[in-house]
Amino acid sequence: MNALLIYVVSGITIGATYALIGSGFVVVHRVTHVVNFTQGTLAVFGGLISYSLLSFSIPHGLAEVLAVLLTGLIGLVFAFVTIGKRGTPPLTALLITLGLSILSEGIFVTIWGQAPIAPEGLGGATVLLGASIENQRLLTAGISAIAFILLGIFFGRTYLGKGMTAAASNPRAAALVGIDSRRMGFIAFAIAGMLGGLAGVVTAPFSPISFSSDLPLALGGFAAAVFGGLSSPWLTVVGGLVLGISGQLVAGYFGGSYQTVAALVMLLVVMIARHKSLSAEEAK
Amino acid sequence: MNPSMKRAIPTAVVALIAILIPLFLNDKTVYVQTVLSAVVVVGLSLFMGYAGQASLGQGAFVAVGALTVAVSTVSFNVPPLIALIAAPVTSAGLAYVLGLPLLRLRGHYLAFGTLAVLLLVGALMGGVPILGGGAGIVGIPSLGIGSLVVTGQLFFAYLALAVLAVTMVVSRNVISSRFGRGVRAVAGSESAAASSGVPVLRTKLAVFALAGGCAGLVGGITAFFIPYVSAESFPPSMSFTYVIMAVIGGLGTLWGGVVGAVVVSVLVQALNTISNIPGTPPIVGLILQYAAYAIILILFLLYMPRGLWPTVGDAVKRRLAKRVKRSQTDYSDQHA
Repeated sequence: MNALLIYVVSGITIGATYALIGSGFVVVHRVTHVVNFTQGTLAVFGGLISYSLLSFSIPHGLAEVLAVLLTGLIGLVFAFVTIGKRGTPPLTALLITLGLSILSEGIFVTIWGQAPIAPEGLGGATVLLGASIENQRLLTAGISAIAFILLGIFFGRTYLGKGMTAAASNPRAAALVGIDSRRMGFIAFAIAGMLGGLAGVVTAPFSPISFSSDLPLALGGFAAAVFGGLSSPWLTVVGGLVLGISGQLVAGYFGGSYQTVAALVMLLVVMIARHKSLSAEEAK
Repeated sequence: MNPSMKRAIPTAVVALIAILIPLFLNDKTVYVQTVLSAVVVVGLSLFMGYAGQASLGQGAFVAVGALTVAVSTVSFNVPPLIALIAAPVTSAGLAYVLGLPLLRLRGHYLAFGTLAVLLLVGALMGGVPILGGGAGIVGIPSLGIGSLVVTGQLFFAYLALAVLAVTMVVSRNVISSRFGRGVRAVAGSESAAASSGVPVLRTKLAVFALAGGCAGLVGGITAFFIPYVSAESFPPSMSFTYVIMAVIGGLGTLWGGVVGAVVVSVLVQALNTISNIPGTPPIVGLILQYAAYAIILILFLLYMPRGLWPTVGDAVKRRLAKRVKRSQTDYSDQHA
């Protein structure tokens, strides 16, 4: 029972990471129809930048917030490269973001080297229902929840957020009422950058991050986003949690090496099971 | 000289140069790998360009081909030649079976689906003992029939070249056949193709299997060439490189795949040479490779989205057409 609880809680925190990265995919895809392959890369940026800022003895809190803002900026730079030129088809844009993630790996190796890095996080552990859980994991779950609530408020209540939804659902009608859908695309990339960066910042202290962490993170996030058809943030959260918890259960009861296999199989099964609704928009 | 012979001249010249190059190389590893990756890229270009689909996991089929050879020769003592023939068959078969559910996906989903397959193959190779486990498979015998065994890099250079030639001839014939017209129709518009009676899924499956077979054969040859197969032999970056080669060369053109493979390989080699100059810190080489790769890919996608071969080919054609036109006007001026 004790072990089960630990698996579930750590599954929730990993799931929250996937959900954060996945909602980055969703935000960009809704507005621009581009799948942003750099979503995992941005998380790596977040973790590594926060590590560097902390090592410059910038206080906790400020360093993490700065790291998230900087990844938002990096997301914006990626947006200029990816969708700055008009008329780039979505699949070409996917390959451009693939190029950006390869380029970023070079940057990671140059600045931070190849060894995995864990920035200092919240130390200690809390005993919860008889199971000891690291505080950083609890913090991750809490901050992710706050991020999702803020995201919901942004899209549902603010003018800018509604404009982005409008640009997503009907670019032409949105343009008629004066919404610049290209600008909305840039903002979406920046938000996705911050979401990815946040995922990296909060999880790096308990799961060290390196230049090669981008691919597993991107795949996990994409798998979560596929639950919501790359367009529903709430289903992405559900997807992330299902993925995270089941992954931890598989790892706990069958061994860690099966965790990747389970996640990949789940990604494939969900995509194939939902192929009719997923591919409706991709069909020409 | 008739026109078809005239058109064959450049091909013959390229073939001759390709045959001569390995004679002047001391270490032919890069040559063999370049030609072999051209084979994979021609197959991938067929799938991406003609069938209009993206695969980020083509390395999976290379890995399966290599595994077929490694496992069958080392664990089951299958004769090397039979193992080599089995490699493309296994990969093509696997591509067909995986394609049945996978090719219902389109666009981004298919790209990630194929990537997931690649990582699954990698995970299986790392975890299952008979597939190499963590240590990989060593002791793959030399290629040959009975006691007649071939070794030496020159043999592999020409074997790779022959395979490339066969792949290109087969692909060209496939594209210009009735089936090939169906393939191109699917790339244009699936619903239009379907309404004209093209069996869309079956067509895509056939191209996927063909591309998988090309990759499998390359994997099989690589297993004999390197004699070592492990989970780390086929990283995702290799599959991304195939896509980069296909895009830079020009999707949906046979020669584009070859041009892309050669250009990217030469580029990587040049960067390697620069970074190996004494006095350069090792990290610089790593950066040169990552950065140059990525920047070239991005610039190509943005400013030459059709790729080198079609863009340069069209420019040359336009130039020639202009010259012909000018000489015609000169002629009419004189006789006016």
